[in-house]
Amino acid sequence: MTLFKRLFSVLLAVCFANGVMIQTAQAALVSTEQVARVAATDASAHQRLNDMLARADVQAELERLGLSPDLAKERIAALTDSEAAALAQQIDSAPAGGIIGAILLVFFVLLVTDILGFTKVFPFTRSVR
Amino acid sequence: MLALLAALAGCAVQTPRLLGAPPADLPLRVELTATPFFPQEEYQCGPAALATALSAIGLPTRPEALVDRVFLPGRQGSLQIEMLAGARGRGAVATRIPGTLEAVMRETHEGNPVVVLQNLGLSWAPSWHYAVVIGYDLDAGHFVLRSGPMERQELPFSTFEHTWDRGGHWAFVITPPGALPATASETEATQALVAFEHNAPSHAAARAYQGALARWPDNLTLAMGLGNTLYAQGDKSNAAGVFRDAAQRHDDAAAYNNLAMVLLELGRRDEARHAAERAVSLGGPFQAQAADTLRRVNE
Repeated sequence: MTLFKRLFSVLLAVCFANGVMIQTAQAALVSTEQVARVAATDASAHQRLNDMLARADVQAELERLGLSPDLAKERIAALTDSEAAALAQQIDSAPAGGIIGAILLVFFVLLVTDILGFTKVFPFTRSVR
Repeated sequence: MLALLAALAGCAVQTPRLLGAPPADLPLRVELTATPFFPQEEYQCGPAALATALSAIGLPTRPEALVDRVFLPGRQGSLQIEMLAGARGRGAVATRIPGTLEAVMRETHEGNPVVVLQNLGLSWAPSWHYAVVIGYDLDAGHFVLRSGPMERQELPFSTFEHTWDRGGHWAFVITPPGALPATASETEATQALVAFEHNAPSHAAARAYQGALARWPDNLTLAMGLGNTLYAQGDKSNAAGVFRDAAQRHDDAAAYNNLAMVLLELGRRDEARHAAERAVSLGGPFQAQAADTLRRVNE
């Protein structure tokens, strides 16, 4: 795993260095696409998760399960940037229509971790520890 | 438990709410009757839908002219990304809109036909289809579409929602450069315009950026796009003005870098040096470019 990570980071560094060299060699002005790419990574994954939560079908499912959208928002706010990015990516890679399933899966995992005492997301759970 | 939930996720959830309490500012009935109709050839709903939407905004296009661009004979269909690229290739901006029935209604009310992706089959036995929503009738509870061989298809709200839901709520609106769909989010609009710049002549892209900046004046990407496209047209003094404004507003290295380069080309070397120094000191992902710019300014 560490070997993989190391190889991967070397690969990434090489790619990045190449990219930079090509950029400086080609253009003096920073292109709009470059700016957009930086802006997109900056725009926090939190925002994208909240956008997903704002969807009517997602909210309806949450309500059906008795989870308030506000609570879901609070939980998302509690995630770190990288956690939120991982979650958003997981949801993105879900097949079309499977998005709700993916979001709910996350909430069930959180429910279980709440009960185990690793997290405290839902007020109605009582930790077993 | 999860399998059951996945099954439940297929319910029409927007329709009952929408029909129960329709948005007060939307009329009961909309139909864009002037939208042209191209009956689709075998499997070619993609080119037909795209030609419909393009012709509707005054870019007369026949589906046959789009087949090479957006149709994959091996898949007997059109890819979503290519539908957007196909519109751009014809000089139009293609912007995705939110996946809500209300957004679709609102766009038709604004006069914009909406291209939608439907799955007319089941999730596990899909039958993909592109169609164009041209209106709705809240009393009768149906949408009106130009769809396949049907010039005027009336599809009940819940049926439309089901088929659209299985298509991932995917919909876009085509506008001439300078205009944008009313319901488009800042993110989607920015994405659409950056893609448009990629294909379009710079004067058209500049007009498109200008229109979007009027709506989201605080968006750095849009401002950079306007500056870059003005520069590409050779309008250096206006480009400098846009980059300066963006640089000051956002204190951004890319904006300072581009400002420095344009000022240098305008022969304003001292101002260019100030901007380049600021770009370098801000650092970030464009550090190398900024250093390069400063080197040129000091040559």
